[in-house]
Amino acid sequence: MNWWDDVMHRAVAEVILAGALTGLIGVQVVVRRLSFFTLALTHATFPGVVAASIIGVNLLLGGVVTGAVVALGVAALTRRRGQDAAAATGVLVSGGFALGAALVATQSGFSRDLSSFLVGSILTVSAGDLVSTAGVLAVVAIVLLVCARPLLYAGFDPVGARAAGIAAGGWDVVLLLTIQLVVVAVVPAVGTILALSLIVAPAAAARLWSDRLPVMTALAVLFAVGSGLAGLFASSRWNLAAGASISLAATAVLAMSWGLQRLTATVSAARAVPA
Amino acid sequence: MAAAALRLAGVSVGYSGRPVVTGVDLELRPGQRLALVGPNGAGKSTLIKSVLGLAEIIDGSATVLDRAPAHARAFTGYVPQTGNLDPDFPVSARQVVMMGRYRRLGWWRPARAADRRAVTEALDRVGLADRAGLRFGLLSGGQRQRVLLARAIAAQPRLLLLDEPFNGVDAVSQEAIVRVLRDLSAAGTALVISTHDLAVARDLADLVCLVNGRQWAVGTPGETLTAGPLRQTYGSSAIDLADGRMVLVEP
Repeated sequence: MNWWDDVMHRAVAEVILAGALTGLIGVQVVVRRLSFFTLALTHATFPGVVAASIIGVNLLLGGVVTGAVVALGVAALTRRRGQDAAAATGVLVSGGFALGAALVATQSGFSRDLSSFLVGSILTVSAGDLVSTAGVLAVVAIVLLVCARPLLYAGFDPVGARAAGIAAGGWDVVLLLTIQLVVVAVVPAVGTILALSLIVAPAAAARLWSDRLPVMTALAVLFAVGSGLAGLFASSRWNLAAGASISLAATAVLAMSWGLQRLTATVSAARAVPA
Repeated sequence: MAAAALRLAGVSVGYSGRPVVTGVDLELRPGQRLALVGPNGAGKSTLIKSVLGLAEIIDGSATVLDRAPAHARAFTGYVPQTGNLDPDFPVSARQVVMMGRYRRLGWWRPARAADRRAVTEALDRVGLADRAGLRFGLLSGGQRQRVLLARAIAAQPRLLLLDEPFNGVDAVSQEAIVRVLRDLSAAGTALVISTHDLAVARDLADLVCLVNGRQWAVGTPGETLTAGPLRQTYGSSAIDLADGRMVLVEP
């Protein structure tokens, strides 16, 4: 029997790939304060993958196309002066979710798949899913590596970057599309709605431990992969929903990091006071 | 004759076709220091951005070293206001200064010894070589301003534009910045410095341009920083003192 034929083996491989992906992009999301925007993307992706599944086209393609439309729409809104991007994003969150739910309702006998779009179904991951997640991981890693300088400059000082001849707006779009690609790629593992926790929580935890981007990125990948494996283990051990367990594990990593930081700060403050 | 570092002729600048500053006429030669003086909201930042090709030139002609502003970015440097930058962004002082070299480095070519040397030299000139590894956001306001100046120096511009570089800056940093600016202009770099501090303008500038929605006067500090032009520029917030001096009261 082939190693890949085992459901659990495929699930472990998918969780590692998805963790690496979300850790890599999560750092960009956190340092650029794009968490809320990413939340909107995950919700906008939901109708996209549902529609793709109804029409019978590739889910990755369907999700990327609808998410890209939303990403570009929000990017255009934020570039206009006086527009409230947060309000627009907020409307997209509920609108996207409503559209997905409405699309699901048009299909009879579709309810089982609904939850797999929303919270993932890691135990039904196919070899094809693994290949596409690995492909997306390669693309995202290359984009983040090759474009590290313009992304850093545009993220830190957009006006300064434009003055230096770097098209900051264009780089924002590159980043938004890359985030969108990741959201869609991790749908089989954790679904559209739970993708946010695996993207934001490990990176936010890593941010607590380091001021340096390479260190943060390594930690975020480590935390995300660790959360994925821990969640998967918990789900098989205690028969819990896998997507939810992974999400909760990521949340726990963030909570523990925060707690440990507070603890060390309190201890060192207590030490600084002469007895 | 060498090309003017900056030439503005009948220039109006603004956004989306709406002018913010009109009627600007001035010429800056290499090594000259121009102070843009006016109250908050006068359009000083917009005028600076237009020279960088980031705000619209609605009317008139603007050239930087005989080129259109958007095509002169290889020769211009920009020091933004630090207040607009995210202090939580995980980037060190050294990394910020290295951004000044990106134009030469391109996207992914590793920094060479010459780049690293230029970064160290620039940090040294602003007196922050010992702070290179610190996160940008952990520096004081004045130190952040000096790091941004170092980033501009590392790019070796021929025209350097600074947006309110002395805002919220401590005395030590102000002194360091003034010294570096004098050195740069002595080496031939033309400078445009926006400020609402008349004392700084009088002390530092060869040329002063008074703006508030339009250009009210341009000339030497002695010609422009006097009661008449200042009253025109600042309106009722300019108050004459009995001894012939003048104070400005920002509303």
